[in-house]
Order: sequence, then C-alpha cells, then structure tokens
Amino acid sequence: MNQAEVDPTQLLKGVLDLAVLAVLAEADSYGYDVVRRLRENGLDHVGDASVYGTLRRLYQAGALNSYVVPSDEGPHRKYYGLNNRGRKALDQSAQTWVSLSKALNHLLNGRSNGHGK
Amino acid sequence: MASNDQADDVATYAASVRAALSNLPTDQSDVLLEDLEDHLREVAAEAEGPLAERLGPPEQYAQELRTAYGAAHAGGTRQDPALHDLRRAIDLVTASAWYRQIRAFLPELRPAWWVLRAYLLVLVITVAFSSTYNIRPIPNPFSSRGLLEILAMAIAIVVSVRLGRRNRPLAKGGRMLAIAANVLIALIAVPALASMGTFHPFTMVESGGSGQAGQQLYTPSGVVTNIYPYSRDGKPLTDVLLYDQDGRALTLDSKTGDATTDYPVGADGQPITNAYPLHERHLSGDPVPAPRVALPPWPAQSPTVSPPPSPTPSPR
Repeated sequence: MNQAEVDPTQLLKGVLDLAVLAVLAEADSYGYDVVRRLRENGLDHVGDASVYGTLRRLYQAGALNSYVVPSDEGPHRKYYGLNNRGRKALDQSAQTWVSLSKALNHLLNGRSNGHGK
Repeated sequence: MASNDQADDVATYAASVRAALSNLPTDQSDVLLEDLEDHLREVAAEAEGPLAERLGPPEQYAQELRTAYGAAHAGGTRQDPALHDLRRAIDLVTASAWYRQIRAFLPELRPAWWVLRAYLLVLVITVAFSSTYNIRPIPNPFSSRGLLEILAMAIAIVVSVRLGRRNRPLAKGGRMLAIAANVLIALIAVPALASMGTFHPFTMVESGGSGQAGQQLYTPSGVVTNIYPYSRDGKPLTDVLLYDQDGRALTLDSKTGDATTDYPVGADGQPITNAYPLHERHLSGDPVPAPRVALPPWPAQSPTVSPPPSPTPSPR
C-alpha cells in the first residue's frame, strides 16, 4: 500500500466508529435507528451496511452490549448500548478527534491561505 | 400479502449478501451476519419498496459490510485457488436472475413441505415399528393400525405446520438443528418410499418365528397357498410330509388367502404344518375343493428299464 495515500475507507471507518458511539451515548438504539439518527445529524450518505458492519464490529470488540426488544408489530429489535469499555473508547476517540481535527483544520487553512495570497 | 413478500425479499437479499461474503472465514462471517436478517427486516418494515432499490445491489451491500467490519482485510486471506474459483462460480450462479427467481419461488412451497415431512415422519415411524419388510402405503384403512396411522398423521401435520409457521426466528444453533432434522427425515424417507408397495417376486419371505407362521412361496403366477401331491398313477395323496433342501418342514403361510387351515395335531400336541394337501376351509366353513389338474402322460414302460424317454410327450 502506498503510504502517502489516504485510504478513504480507513478514514470513514474511524469517523463512523466515533459517530456511532456518540449516537449510542445519547440513547440505546437499534441498527436502522442508528442510521436514521446519523443522517439526521448531517452524515447524509452514511450507508446502511457500513453502520450495520460497524455495530457488529464494535459489539465484537466488546464496546457494546446488546439486548433484544420484542415487539408485537414488526420484527424484534436488537438494541445496542455503550458499556464501560464503549464509553471509555468514546472519550478517548473524541479527544483524539478534537485534537486531530484542530490540527488538520489549521493545516488546511494555512494551505488555502497560502494559495489565496 | 405484503408481509409475506417482504419476508421473501429479506430472505433473498440476505442470501445474496451471505453468498457474496462466502469467502470470509466462517468465524468472521458468523459474527458479522448473525442478525443480518433481523436488521434487514427492520429496514424492510421501515418503508415500502424492494430492499435492492433502497440499499443497492446485495453484492455492493456485502462489500460495504466487509469494509465497515474490517473483515479479513479485504480478502487478504490465503485461499486454495481451486476453492476460490468454485466460490466465484457459486457467486455467479447465486447472483443470476433465474437463481433469484427460484429462491423467491421456493418459499411458496414451504407449506407443502410441512405436510410432506409430517407424512414422511409417520411413515418412517410406521416402518420402524412394523415387523415385515413389506411396506404398504399408509394410512392403510384395511389394516388394524389404520385408524392409529390416520390419527398420528393428523397430529403430525398440525404440529409440523405450526412449527413451520412459527414467526420467531431460531437461534443459530437451533436453526442448524432444525435443518439437520428436516434433511434427516427426507433422507430416511427416500428408501422407505422407494420400497413402498413393491413385492419381491419368486422369493420366500419369512414372516416370523412362531410355529403357525410359515413361508410365502411365490410362483410367477402368484402365491402358493396349498400343495396337492399325486401319485404316479394319478391318485391324489393325502398327508404327504414335505421338507425343503435343508430338511426343514415346508410350511406355507397360513395367513395367505381367504381360507382357514385345519392342521392335524400330532401325538406331542404340536400341529403338523407340513402335511399336504392342507385341509383348508372357506370362511363360510365349506372345505376348499381340490383343483382339477392335468396329469402328464408317463412313458409306456417302467422307468427302471430306462428306455429313451420320449422328449415331448403329447398332452392328452
């Protein structure tokens, strides 16, 4: 792999993890509801499969707990929620993200300013 | 019905996604796809329209899933090239339109299988508990167990259909077990069905070890129920004891035919079952008359002189 290239899937993966964790930190939720809330928050083009895959991976990594809520109408829903490990992961990732985005914004601003002048 | 169509749509879509991810290591795909159907059902319930329209083609969905899950690092697992080709071929088939049509059609046949498997299960149980190898179609109202068989069949069908209609999906282990049970019933039933109603011509069938029960002797023209010996000069003989090549008393199955047999009782109190002709009586009580027989013409001289026997004695 070319080290100089940004792998967009890796970028998305990192962002999506954080986004999913943040959504679940607000309230426990099931797969499709997570998708909907992400879209409501401006991540318009987030794919259903990406969210489902991310939920499964986070669950597999032990960051989420899950429980099934039976419903009379429609299918049973598998809810996911953060456990301690998930909350810790969210805190750390959020800090990383904030500092990273600050640094990146600074870099990108400097670049566009340099071009502008 | 809309909900049925939706369920089929979910099943078809999920099957295609699973097929597209079939080259993942099973431990990964198991975890990833564990509740794929539940999730797709949720998506399907959310709005109208086929899943493929709302989520894109299943192959693309599978690729996105794989990426998001970070699975197998995008096919980095080593694989036997032959196995890989086979999987590609399977993927091609499963992605084809006609395969999807068949997949979509198969669920329609599920109720038929529910009834059939109930029938097969009762059939297998009947065969397992029957003493003869002669399998007849069941339920057989003419047999003593006919009513029992009909009753068992009714119960089995009701239970089987209820099991089939059960809405709640089974856990993974349970589903594997259910599939295994279905396959087992089908496999056991195949030989049972194959031998059903077929006789074994020209063979003797031992039908038990009791003194009364004998053997069924077949000739090409039917079952032998009695034997009429005649002397050389055409006089009917009575109480001729017959034995087979191993010296066992040659006893015919007394249950064959619609006549009852009176056996002479020996001094030891045991019936003598190989004295022919048997004394048979119709159910009405009349004795069964001896058949008319055509006796062969013997050569003119005594056989001890042994003249060349005429090869084709002309019938009288």
